[in-house]
Amino acid sequence: MKKIEIEINGQRMFGAVAKAGETTWFSLAGEVWTIESPPSGRAARGATNVAGVDPTQVRAPMPGKIIKVVSTVGSTVIAGETLIVMEAMKMEYTLKAAVTGEVLEILCEVGQQVTLGATLAKLKV
Amino acid sequence: MRRIQSVAIANRGEVAVRIIHACRELGIRTVLLHSEADQGTRAYRMADTRICIGPAPTNESYLSIERCVNGALAGKADAVHPGFGFLSENANFAEAVLDAGLIFVGPKPASIRAVGDKIAAKKTIAQAKAPSVPGYMGDDQRIETLVEEAAKIGFPVIVKAAAGGGGRGMKVIRSREEAVEQIASAQREGLAAFGSAIVFLEKYLDHAKHIEFQIFGDSGGEVSYLFERECTVQRRHQKIIEEALSPVLTPELRRAMGETAVRLAQSADYQGAGTVEFLLQDDQFYFLEMNTRLQVEHPVTEMVLGVDLVKAQILNAAHEFRVWPQETLVAHGHAIEARIYAENPYAGGIPSTGKVLGMEWPEGPGRRFETGIEAGDEVTPYYDSMIAKVIVWDETRLRAIKKMKATLAESLVLGVHTNIPLVREMMSHPEFIQGTMTTQFVGSHFPDGLRARERSPVEIEFQNRASNSEFGASSGQAVESRRAAPNVWISSRAWSNV
Repeated sequence: MKKIEIEINGQRMFGAVAKAGETTWFSLAGEVWTIESPPSGRAARGATNVAGVDPTQVRAPMPGKIIKVVSTVGSTVIAGETLIVMEAMKMEYTLKAAVTGEVLEILCEVGQQVTLGATLAKLKV
Repeated sequence: MRRIQSVAIANRGEVAVRIIHACRELGIRTVLLHSEADQGTRAYRMADTRICIGPAPTNESYLSIERCVNGALAGKADAVHPGFGFLSENANFAEAVLDAGLIFVGPKPASIRAVGDKIAAKKTIAQAKAPSVPGYMGDDQRIETLVEEAAKIGFPVIVKAAAGGGGRGMKVIRSREEAVEQIASAQREGLAAFGSAIVFLEKYLDHAKHIEFQIFGDSGGEVSYLFERECTVQRRHQKIIEEALSPVLTPELRRAMGETAVRLAQSADYQGAGTVEFLLQDDQFYFLEMNTRLQVEHPVTEMVLGVDLVKAQILNAAHEFRVWPQETLVAHGHAIEARIYAENPYAGGIPSTGKVLGMEWPEGPGRRFETGIEAGDEVTPYYDSMIAKVIVWDETRLRAIKKMKATLAESLVLGVHTNIPLVREMMSHPEFIQGTMTTQFVGSHFPDGLRARERSPVEIEFQNRASNSEFGASSGQAVESRRAAPNVWISSRAWSNV
């Protein structure tokens, strides 16, 4: 981490910057934000997943453990229906279908540790 | 009873650090019982002796009675401090510690069973004629029975893991349709976090305040109450902001609740630090549960009373302590604690893990920081996401709120996201400032955390200059940042608060 003092429009401000892998962290006046700098052409993993570009791809929003797979391949799910339950930091998180459609693939199983952004299931609209 | 010369700490994170501080001040050697995943933590670096008790998963380390006891023996400890969470409220653990010839820093196993197990405690408090919330605490734990009982109580109903705490294994059931799913989820969380799937049900009070009383019993049988903490600001039953004292209690109500808490403790022959939790709605208080351990939020009580609860626990375990007489306890000023969680408030509070690249806490009068990690340490997905606590004290509640806001504005964590921006927003909310918030506060006003916002022109300018300064004007990063700046409003994905 590097601390940086800047003056903008005559006002002194204190911030910090740090880089880890493809992510650069910025902090200014109590606000923290990140910017992803992926190799050109490829979207940043974390950013893609949180923004949820493709609603048919169910991705792990965090690293953690799969504790329940509710849906089965070939079944029809409606938007908002629970597909998978994960655990991280001792809390359960329910992953729900973003769209109504058919479950094409389930790519995880109960007990499995998954990484951030891993595709856990695929749907077909 | 012999003097305690070394204490084994069956815990991790900031509470392990808190206990190490107390031991050092008392001239006591510390033995940290840690998992393989916790070698890069502050407590690990601070402890006098370190004993690895197993791998990262909690049931193979921090939740293993055998490994914790063996670790304490291997480290030649005289006593075991369980901290909070993990085995701290497990009577079998307390018993195993005693059976191994060690001192347990906490109540006797029988006391834990009488008031610590939530189902048993409800029966105890019913005998003590204290009001409790309508509910079901039967032995029949079949899911069909639980659903029927929930319907009988009337929705909304809350389902809780009997051995639980810290918001884990607790779910609100709003309708019959979601009853099965929520009960099953609470059972699983209870099993995973505490090793027990037993749950109970109770009526969910929807405009209540969470008020808890700190009590302390000494080895001579005296019990005092150290007033209350208000912990109303919770999300998913996980506390976020705690304060002492509550802004709403009248002296009469305070005394009635405090005396109820003391009665409960006395009926269980309680020794050491404990907390009796109540819900307060329309000037009626209902017993919620008793926690037979130190609480996460104990610092706010320490700040307004000028006491050290952890040292008192250790001295009491060595029979070298007399509890503060009730009439000498007077609260001064106001203290607020904010729990800092590694999570992204701009993404619905999703946990954030990774290496902490930078961490700074701004010292100042009446400010206190408790953390178990430092820059360079890893926040792992194995444990609770609380990475720090920020505590402030000032003469009045309003000043304490302002101090908290100023302190958080200067606090810095880089490498993992934290809820600091969310806590700052909460501190500015009129309902919080007035002190009229209920346990619905977070759900009503911050249901999904914070909305991601665009970077301000000043922040973009800073980002560009910081990129130049960090990576050199010729780096592609800096160029890309400059080029991207005019389009930041649209290309929000690459700039998002991921």
